[in-house]
Amino acid sequence: MSTALATAPLRRPSSPGARPNVEPAPSIEIVPGRDQRRARPRVVYASVVVGGLGALMLSQLLMSIALSDGAYAIDSLQREHKEQSRVVQQLNEELGRLSSPQNLAVNAEALGMVQNTNPVWLRMSDGAVIGTPAAATAGAGVIGSAGSQVANELLTGVPLVAQPDAAGAPASATPDPAAPPAEGSQLPLQAPTTR
Amino acid sequence: MSRRRSRRRIAASLLALLAMLGVFVVRLVDIQVVQAASLNAEAEDKRSIPQTILGERGDIFDSTGTLLARSVLRYDITASPKTAVKSGVTPEAAAIEIAKVTGQKPEDLVKVLEDAVAKDPDSDFAYLARRVDAETFQQIRDLEIPWVYYEAHAARTYPNGAVAGNLIGFVGTENQPQAGVEYSEDSCLAGQDGSEVYERSADGVRIPGSTVVTEEAVNGSDLVLTIDSDLQWFTQQTLATYAQKFGASWGTVVVEEVATGKLLAVADYPTVDPNNVAATANTDVSALGSRAFTAPFEPGSTFKTLTAASLIDAGLANPGSRVVADDTFTTPEGADVSDSESHERWNLTLTGVLKESSNTGLSQLGLLMTPQQRYEYMQRFHLGQRTEVGFGGEEPGDLNGGPDSWDAQTNLTTMFGQGLTTTAVQMASVYQTIANGGVRMPVSLVEGCRQADGTITDAAPVDGSRVISEGAADQTVAMLENVATKGWLANQIEIPGYRLATKTGTAQHADGSGGYADTYIVSLAGIAPADDPQYVVTVTLADPVKMNTSGATAPVFREVMTQVLKQYAVVPSGSSSPDLPTNY
Repeated sequence: MSTALATAPLRRPSSPGARPNVEPAPSIEIVPGRDQRRARPRVVYASVVVGGLGALMLSQLLMSIALSDGAYAIDSLQREHKEQSRVVQQLNEELGRLSSPQNLAVNAEALGMVQNTNPVWLRMSDGAVIGTPAAATAGAGVIGSAGSQVANELLTGVPLVAQPDAAGAPASATPDPAAPPAEGSQLPLQAPTTR
Repeated sequence: MSRRRSRRRIAASLLALLAMLGVFVVRLVDIQVVQAASLNAEAEDKRSIPQTILGERGDIFDSTGTLLARSVLRYDITASPKTAVKSGVTPEAAAIEIAKVTGQKPEDLVKVLEDAVAKDPDSDFAYLARRVDAETFQQIRDLEIPWVYYEAHAARTYPNGAVAGNLIGFVGTENQPQAGVEYSEDSCLAGQDGSEVYERSADGVRIPGSTVVTEEAVNGSDLVLTIDSDLQWFTQQTLATYAQKFGASWGTVVVEEVATGKLLAVADYPTVDPNNVAATANTDVSALGSRAFTAPFEPGSTFKTLTAASLIDAGLANPGSRVVADDTFTTPEGADVSDSESHERWNLTLTGVLKESSNTGLSQLGLLMTPQQRYEYMQRFHLGQRTEVGFGGEEPGDLNGGPDSWDAQTNLTTMFGQGLTTTAVQMASVYQTIANGGVRMPVSLVEGCRQADGTITDAAPVDGSRVISEGAADQTVAMLENVATKGWLANQIEIPGYRLATKTGTAQHADGSGGYADTYIVSLAGIAPADDPQYVVTVTLADPVKMNTSGATAPVFREVMTQVLKQYAVVPSGSSSPDLPTNY
C-alpha cells in the first residue's frame, strides 16, 4: 500500500525547486506583538492614497483641458454668432432699402405700371359696377414726370431692376432701351388676353 | 563663560530674526493696507476686461407693421499711428487698400497718420473712418492690417428715408435723440446700456467662468405710430410735386381718421431724410421737424366753418339764415371788413356765405354771438393749446389773448380766421370734430409703446369730448357739401361717386409786425364721404407764387383724398348731396 513512504521515511520533504542536501539555516525572528503589527504601515493604504492623488490630479488636468477646450469652442462660436448677426443685419438693411415705397414705385413705373385715379368698385353680391370707369393713361403714375420727390439716401446707387443696362440683362430682351418706360412692349412677359 | 557666550549668540540671532520679521511686517502692511487699493486696481486692469453691453434702442413701426427706424451697429475704423508709420508695411500701401473700400483718398488717410505722429510720436489712436457699415467693416478687417482697430457703435437707420422723416425725427452721432418722435418718445425707445467684466488669456480668449455682469442691459421698447407709411409716401410725393409746380415755399397735408382722431399721414414739404440730416439742415432748418405742428398760421376762410358751426350749435342760426352781404361791411365802432373782390349786393343764406366765402356776410351773422361765446367755442375745439400729440416743438397757436384783448376789428376778423393762428393739425382736428357728429377725438400720432411681450403701454387717449351738438355738426357738413358741389373749385376737386364736404381758405400772411404781407397761405380742408364721414384731409400751401389762390390746393386734395378712399376701400354710397339754397 505505501511502498514509497516506507522506503524514504527519514528524508525531509522538499519542495520540487529546492536544492537537495542543503540544510536550511534555522530561522529565528522576533514575533511582533499585536500592537506592533497593528502600527506597521500597510502598502495597500499608501498605494490607495498615492493612486487617489494621482487620479485626482489626472482628472483635474483632464477637466481643465476640457474646460479650456470648451472656452475656445465658446469663443469661436461667439465669433461666428457675431459674424452671422452682422450678415443678418446687412441683409435686413438691404431688404428694408429695397422695399421702401420710393424704390417700389420708381421700379413699378419703370416697368410700365400706371395708377388709375378713378376708383371703381365691383359689388360681388349683384355684380354692380360702382363709379365711372375710365382708362388710366400712360404716364399717370404717382412719380410721373416730376420724378421721385421723397428722398432716400439709402437708395443712392441702387439700380432700377428694369434698367436696360442692368447687369445680366441680355441686350436682346430690350430691343429699344430708349423707349419711354410707360410702354409695355419692352417687357418680356406678354399681357394675357382677358374678356 | 561659554554658557554666557552662547546666550549672547542666541539673543543676537533672535534680534536679527525679529528685525527681519519687522521688515516683513512693515512691507506686508504696506502692500496689504497702504497700497492695497491702487495695487488691486492695477492688477484688475492687467487681467480683466470691462465691456459695455449695448442696450438696443427700440424700433419704430407704422400702423401696418412697416419698419420705419431700426437700430444697427456701425463701426469706427481706428489706427495706431505710431505703429503704422514705423511698420514694415508702409502706411501708403495699406491706405490705398483701405481707401478702395471706404471711398476715401489714400493720401488723406496717410496724412491723418503722419499728422498724429508729428504731433505726438507716441500717438496710439486716430480715426481713419467713422460709422461705416458692416460690409465695409468686414472688408477692411479682411485686409488684416496689424495697426488697424475697430469700435462698434449703436446707430440708427431709416429704411424708408424721408417717408415720415418729418415725424420720426433723427438721432445725433452718439445716437442721442434730436427731433420728432425719436425725441418726444425717447422714454419708450431708449435702451439702458449694461456692463460686464471678464478675464481673458494672453491670446484674448475669455476665461470660462470669469464673466461678471455688473449691470444688466435693458433693450428699449418699440414705438408704433398711427401713420400708414404707404399713404404717407403718396401724400409726400403728391404734395412735393404740386408745391414745386406752384412755387410754394412750404406746404403740409394732414390726413386724419374721423372716428378715432388718428393721424394717418402728416406730410411736409420740404422735409428731411433722417439718413442725411445735413442736407436739409444746411438749406431749411424749419424743415427738420414738421411744420404741420410747428408752424402756426392765420388759417383764413377754412375757419369760417367753425364760426358757422358755433352759430348753429348756439341756436342763433341755421343753414338757411339770411343775410344781406355787400362787398364791404362797417360796424358802428368803426371796424370794417371787405370781401376779396368787389361785388353787387348778395342776398345770401349761411350756406351761401360759406359757398361765396363772404367775409361781410359772416361778420354780420357772427355778431349774433358775443366774443366770449365764440372764444369758448374755440377753446372747446382745442384751439390755442397744443394737441394731445405733444410733438417736439409743437406750437399751441395764438387766439390773440382772448375776447378782452380783441379790438373791434379783431373781433370781426377772428370770425373768418384772421387775427389768430392755428396749426395745420389743429385745423384738421376742427374738421374731424364736425365730421364726427360734434365729438372731438384726441389727436394721436403714436398708437403706443410696444413692450417685448407685445403689450402696448402709454396708448393714445381714446376719450372724445362733445364740442357741438350732433345736429349742428350734421348741418355744417351739409353746408360744406354745397360748398364742394357749387363752389368755384367744384370741377377740380370732384371725385366721381363720392360726396365731399370742403372749404377753402386764402389768408394773407402776417408780416410779423402787426400788418399783412403781400403773400398768401392757401388751404383746403375737406371731409369724405360726406354721407358717412370717415376721413379728413387738409392741404396748406404757403405762398404759391405761380397760383396765388386756393385753386393750388385742389389737385393735391383730390389726389390725396382719392388715394385715401381707395386705400381704405370706402365704397361710394350712390346717394347724392343735399341741395341747400345759397341765396334768396
